[in-house]
Amino acid sequence: MTSVLIVDDELFIVELYRDILQLRGYRVVGTAFDGEEALRKYGNSVDKPDVIIMDHRMPVMNGVDATKEILKLNPHQKVIFVSADVLVEKEARDAGAIEFLPKPFRMDDLIEKMERLSSMK
Amino acid sequence: MTERQIDIEQQKQLEFYMDMLGHDILNNNQAVLGYLELILSNTETDKAARKYAEKAVSHIRTSTILIENIKRLMAAREVDPNSFKPAELMAAILRSEGELRRHFPDKKISLTISPRIDGAYVIGNSIAENLILNLLVSIVRLDKNEEIELALKLKEVDHGGKMCWSMTVEDLNARLPPAMKGASIDAIYQQDGSTAVKMAGLLFAKMMAVSLGGDFDAHQLGETEDEGSAFVLVLRKAGKP
Repeated sequence: MTSVLIVDDELFIVELYRDILQLRGYRVVGTAFDGEEALRKYGNSVDKPDVIIMDHRMPVMNGVDATKEILKLNPHQKVIFVSADVLVEKEARDAGAIEFLPKPFRMDDLIEKMERLSSMK
Repeated sequence: MTERQIDIEQQKQLEFYMDMLGHDILNNNQAVLGYLELILSNTETDKAARKYAEKAVSHIRTSTILIENIKRLMAAREVDPNSFKPAELMAAILRSEGELRRHFPDKKISLTISPRIDGAYVIGNSIAENLILNLLVSIVRLDKNEEIELALKLKEVDHGGKMCWSMTVEDLNARLPPAMKGASIDAIYQQDGSTAVKMAGLLFAKMMAVSLGGDFDAHQLGETEDEGSAFVLVLRKAGKP
C-alpha cells in the first residue's frame, strides 16, 4: 500500500486529500502544516512515505525550500508539488519535485500521478 | 513621499491583496472540486444529483479561470511580449477544446476547425493557450443551448504591419448585448454592471491579446443578437522554436 505525507497549511485541504486518498486505498502516514514541520516529521520518521504531496505557500518554510531540504536527506524521495501559484512550477521542479499540479486540480489527476510514481518503485 | 510614490505603493498593496485573495479562493475551489468529485464518483449518487454536481463543477472551473485571469493580467503587464516563447497554435487549440469539454460536462460541444494548420506558431507561450481556452469558455457562456456548435477559422493576416494568425470563432447562438452592435469590445466598459460581468471574459481576451502584441474583437453576425456572434482573436506569428 502506497504511503503518503501531506503538507499543506490549510486544514480543510489536508482533510480533503486525506479523505480521498484513504478512500482510494492509500496510507496517510502523516500531515504537516508548514515546511519546517514537514522536514522535522520526515527526518524523525522511521517509516518514510513513498510520496510527499507538497504545497508551496506556507508559513515558516515554503514548499520549495522544504523540498530541497527533504531531498538532501533522501535524494530518492518522490515529491508531488501542488500549488495555486502556477508560476512556481519551474522553481519546484528545479528543487526536485517530480510532478506539479496547479490548484485546483482533479483528484483523479493526483491519483493518476500517485499511481505512476508508485509503479516506479 | 511624492504623490507618484504613494500611487505605486498603493498599487503594490492592491496587487498583494488580490494575490492573497486569489490564492485563498483557489484553495477553496480545490476543496469544493474535490468533494464534488467524491459525489460524482459515488455509485449511489442518483442522476439528478449527478447533474447538479456537474453544473457545480462547471461553475468552480469558471471561478478558477476568472481568478487565474486576474493573476495573469497582473503578471503580463510587466512582461515584454517579445520575451514569450512560441506556442504551437493547433496544439493549443486542441488542448483547449479538450479542456472546454471538461469545463462544461453538462453541455454537448462540437468544434469544427478549418483549415487545420500544423506547424503554425504564435507568440505567447502558455498564456496564448490560456487565452484561447478563456475565449472558448466565454463564448459557451454566451450560448444558452445545451448543444453548442462552434466553427473556428484560421487565416494569416497583417495586423499593424506584423504578420499574425487570426482565429475567428463563430457561434450562431452566442448572444452579445444589443448595445455592442457595431461597437468594439471596449464598449463593455459602458455596459451596466451585470452585463459587463458576463462579458468580463471577452474583456480579458482583449487585454491579454493586446499584451501579446495581438488584438481581439467580437461582433454580431447579423442585424440582431439572435443571429449569433463572431469572435476574432489575432495573435502574432512566431517562428518554430
